[in-house]
Amino acid sequence: MRRAALLALLTALVLAGIASGERVQRGNLIVRLDGGFAPLTLPRDHKAPVSVHLDAGLQTADGSVLPRVTRVELGIPGQGAITTRGLPSCTRRRLRNTTTERALELCRPALIGTGRMVAQVKIPHQAPFIVRARLLAFNGRVHGQRAVIVHGISARPPTVVALPFLIELRPGKFGTVLVAHLPRNLGPWPRFARFAMDFSRRYVAGGQSLSYLSASCPIPRRYTAGFFSFAKATFTLADGRRISTGIARSCRAR
Amino acid sequence: MSRSIALILLATALLAAAAASAAEAPTRDEYVDQLEAICKPDALATQRVMKGARADIRAERLAAATKKFAKATSIFGGTVRQISTVPRPPADATRLGKWFTYLKRQESYLRQITAQLRQDHAIKAQRLTARFIHNGNLANNVVLAFGFDYCSFKFSRYG
Repeated sequence: MRRAALLALLTALVLAGIASGERVQRGNLIVRLDGGFAPLTLPRDHKAPVSVHLDAGLQTADGSVLPRVTRVELGIPGQGAITTRGLPSCTRRRLRNTTTERALELCRPALIGTGRMVAQVKIPHQAPFIVRARLLAFNGRVHGQRAVIVHGISARPPTVVALPFLIELRPGKFGTVLVAHLPRNLGPWPRFARFAMDFSRRYVAGGQSLSYLSASCPIPRRYTAGFFSFAKATFTLADGRRISTGIARSCRAR
Repeated sequence: MSRSIALILLATALLAAAAASAAEAPTRDEYVDQLEAICKPDALATQRVMKGARADIRAERLAAATKKFAKATSIFGGTVRQISTVPRPPADATRLGKWFTYLKRQESYLRQITAQLRQDHAIKAQRLTARFIHNGNLANNVVLAFGFDYCSFKFSRYG
């Protein structure tokens, strides 16, 4: 009995370790990615609704000002799927210059996630300062392509951004990739530091109960858990360098 | 008299040896370059031999998966043996010592996973895989500042 409890504790500790974020350093720059999904127990042979948490960030090893990021890519593996069939969508134009309340008023049916973002702002001849923004993620389309439109708003200084992440399907381990180009009109000053997002949306369409995100745990009957590449974040910097990291997570099968 | 001369000679010899070893000791950047050159072909070979291993396990082709793990274990062991002989920057000696402890543990986990797969012990292999991933991440954290690419643990290389 005592042995079983000890084993359970050890397993929990190991899994907790796996769930901590992974970091990669290139030169002075460190990229970090953490995340998970719920529920952890999923069907082996078909996809079930899940919610996903992602937390990614950049920092410099010596605390100096961060470089400017021009492109962000978030890769999701084949075990996961994004379903937008019958889900209302919102446009970037509708979200432009809106407060959080107004954005929700206009696009709440398309809401698929919420989060927070931190950016460093470096204005010449001034000490760098931190901007904190609240994020809302909406299902949308950009030039006919499926997208996640992220609405970010900060109180100090008052700033609103509506940034589309295009959903691209690619061959390979990370079959679904969310790609955002950070627009030039954001200016050279904001430096992306960290974001944390929770994606989850259940909805009914055509009499069917659907989920924006769903996943399975495709492992044989004799196994109780499986491991897979859960997410990959790649940042492209203004000088052309790319830095990326991936995380592995486990799922339990039912 | 002759005893003190012998002592002076011994001290001089020791100092010379210390100076020579200090001159041989690489900087961190040189060390990283040396190790990456060793790790790169092995990391690519691991990726090649492990291709489809997870799919094999999913499809219950355990014999095929076991062979792949055995090959990866042998490559990993060879890499660790090779890189452990490379002179280390003195300032990083403690940290690298810790890293090598993790690498040896990593090799042991791979060996154990292979053995458990060979004996058809799926659940034991699964538990060891969790430890293997966790240990790999701990190893990476120790040498984060070195900026290793091919010498760092990447789950994606294992199938």
